[in-house]
Amino acid sequence: MLKKRKIAEAAIPTSSMADIAFLLLLFFLVATVIDVDTGIGLTLPEYIPPAEQVNIKVDKDRMAAILINENGDVLLDGNPTSVFQIKNNLKPRIISKIDLPSNKKLIVSVKTDRKTNYNIYIQALDQTKQAYFEVRDEYSNQQYGKKYNDLVPEQQDVVKDKIPIIISLAEPESVNK
Amino acid sequence: MKFEKRRANTKQEIPTASMPDIVFMLLLFFMVTTTLREVDVLVDFKLPEAKAIEKIENKRLISYIWVGRSGRIQINDSIVKLSDIEPIMYSKRQELPNVIVSLRIDKGTDMGLVTDIQQELRKAYCLRINYSANIKI
Repeated sequence: MLKKRKIAEAAIPTSSMADIAFLLLLFFLVATVIDVDTGIGLTLPEYIPPAEQVNIKVDKDRMAAILINENGDVLLDGNPTSVFQIKNNLKPRIISKIDLPSNKKLIVSVKTDRKTNYNIYIQALDQTKQAYFEVRDEYSNQQYGKKYNDLVPEQQDVVKDKIPIIISLAEPESVNK
Repeated sequence: MKFEKRRANTKQEIPTASMPDIVFMLLLFFMVTTTLREVDVLVDFKLPEAKAIEKIENKRLISYIWVGRSGRIQINDSIVKLSDIEPIMYSKRQELPNVIVSLRIDKGTDMGLVTDIQQELRKAYCLRINYSANIKI
């Protein structure tokens, strides 16, 4: 440079920038909803009009039919039980089918009356899921020495393949309302 | 070897010049993760409790259906009829093909209503559902 001219410094004061940023930060901190939605996940079967429905015979051995009536009484394969015994009833049956091919695994079918309380239905589903989760945990402990959730995805897939969660919701019967 | 205590002849201050940058980073993180509450819940409901609970990782995929104690059904911001569920959910599914429907149903509801809603969802091809429940301790 040839000429050096003295220029008055024209800077924006940045000392308050941090404060402004903090204010914004605080706003978003407060406005953020962190709570995650928790619940029992399920995949519904595709809708098939009643006229096209085909009944597929399933081996009695594969089925675990849970029936809940409007009083909250539970029938598991025809035997009356309580909701809280579903888990212990299902577990040995799931375990016994681990090494069977995928078309022989246990199917849990949950059927309710129209007047059944939703809470009991959720409890029954919860018990079923718990049974599956515990069996998965035990199996992965045997195979890999870790809990299911700590496994790497590939191992999880193996366990999932061995112990698939099959919950079938019975087609609702048409009832005169 | 002899160690000498040397006094620092500089000023002992934490440099704060990068503080705005750090704060902006934090700010950006929160701005990106925030999902502002969009709807007012108009129905009165109490979720059931369960133990075998899973988290839904992706909040943006979720679409809610509320069912209150009185049996009223709410989707988005309004109370809807049972027969309205199918067209509403069908259009939602077209926007978001892998939508997860979170059913926030009061624990005193009859299963008949729940089954009806499920049938509507099946007709609308919204097959991934989630029964919202609180964790039981």
